[in-house]
Amino acid sequence: MHLFFQLVKESVLFASQSLLANKLRTFLSLLGITIGIFAIITVFTVTDSLENNIRGSIASLGNNVVIVEKWPWAFGADYPWWKYMLRPTASVDDLEAIILNSKTTEAAAFRVDTKKRVQYFSNMVENVTISGVSADYNLVSNFEIEQGRYFTQLESDNAKNAVILGKTVQEGLFPSGESPLGKDVKMFGRKFTVIGIVKKQGESMLGNSMDNQVMIPLNFIRNILDVRAETNEPYIAVKAKAGVSNEQLKDELTGILRAERRLQPGTEDSFALNETSVLSKGFDGLFDVVGTVGWIIGGFSILVGGFGIANIMFVSVKERTNLIGIQKSLGAKNYFILLQFLSEAIFLSLIGGLLGLLVIWVITLFAGDAFGMEITLTLSNVVLGLTISFLIGIISGFVPAYSAAQLDPVEAIRQ
Amino acid sequence: MKRPLILSIICVIGFLWVVITFPGVFSPSVKKLGVFMPAIYGLIVAATFISFIGVWHLKRWGMELYAISFFCKMLFFILTKTFEITSIAGVVFSVWFIITYLFFYKKMDANL
Repeated sequence: MHLFFQLVKESVLFASQSLLANKLRTFLSLLGITIGIFAIITVFTVTDSLENNIRGSIASLGNNVVIVEKWPWAFGADYPWWKYMLRPTASVDDLEAIILNSKTTEAAAFRVDTKKRVQYFSNMVENVTISGVSADYNLVSNFEIEQGRYFTQLESDNAKNAVILGKTVQEGLFPSGESPLGKDVKMFGRKFTVIGIVKKQGESMLGNSMDNQVMIPLNFIRNILDVRAETNEPYIAVKAKAGVSNEQLKDELTGILRAERRLQPGTEDSFALNETSVLSKGFDGLFDVVGTVGWIIGGFSILVGGFGIANIMFVSVKERTNLIGIQKSLGAKNYFILLQFLSEAIFLSLIGGLLGLLVIWVITLFAGDAFGMEITLTLSNVVLGLTISFLIGIISGFVPAYSAAQLDPVEAIRQ
Repeated sequence: MKRPLILSIICVIGFLWVVITFPGVFSPSVKKLGVFMPAIYGLIVAATFISFIGVWHLKRWGMELYAISFFCKMLFFILTKTFEITSIAGVVFSVWFIITYLFFYKKMDANL
């Protein structure tokens, strides 16, 4: 074992000397591996970051939640939109029927959205999503109240002019940092009292972050908006009781909604029951395609990089042939020469890989702000990058190293 | 001893196979199996490549390394539950390679 480490140490010294002696040649040879590792790990880093962001956004829609709306969530070319567009939108009557008749539902809530300006004295935030939500919306959606509280049942029922602000809206209306609780903000030309602030959620790939959103009671917004208008995207979110599967819940909801909408037996449903798992599955396919394309492009870059390493190693063996002859004549074994050149190839390849990873890491420091999402070089991708570099070093360095080990000492010294 | 034609064919097929399958080491499907799975699978592929170099030079260690790497690959597929019907073709080829090697094993060089 001591001999092995001694060998590795000597090989690294040899490699360093070789690197320093032929800087430009080494740099050009390593560039292949650097670009290959850069290409493949960049693709994996970006897809991993996108995936984490989208999964986080999907989770914020709520797990174990079924969304009742007009349009089914589906991916693919076979999407008969002309049938779905004739369907009625989700209504408050549907919600009431679900609450009244469902045995498997833990909570159900209606939500409708519009975009308006929100104002506090001279401070205003444009294009804010104003969501009219029914009483149990906090039970079916994943968000945390940072300050204040959610609507009481009484406030919801009596259409109280209370509002819960998203973090971005709060920062826009109250830039000095004063507490917004109890203050009156203006929307639709009316005053609303701030009763809560939603904890910051950050950017969402699905555009469902609550940061640029405010919530007001559904019964209030019903007096201002047509909550059945498709432009206001009405939907009902239904959460199953513990131990009830989404399939059971969907079966029951289908019965309740068909009865509520008086659909004849044999006719198609006039509503869609969507699950967040459909979105996850849809994105799984997308990420597989992106990952595979990146893998093919990066894979071939790495192969080309491997040929570069093999080339530099053959040159290295040729240059040091007489040195190999002297080493062998002094008693060096074949495996000693083999390991010496092989570890040199691995060392060179690892430097190339490390350079590629370093470039990616530097880019991730700036790319996050540019793309509005967190891009992280994960440990698994670092391990993968180093593994690939190590393997390329072995594969591309073995043939030159083996040919060096097989040299006849007498012939080698003569050269 | 001159290298038999059949061994040359096997080695050329093997080299091409390694070049084609090497990118598979870091494919998304292997990456999903775990952080260190690409490294383990990659070492098996690298060992297979080195074994073909050994066989090309008619060295016994080449045949022995091929048999070990084949065994490790099967173990990897079984433990990660990734053995599929399409893998059977690879198994048939590998067994054929090993049987062919065995015919020439005694004539091969025992040194490095």
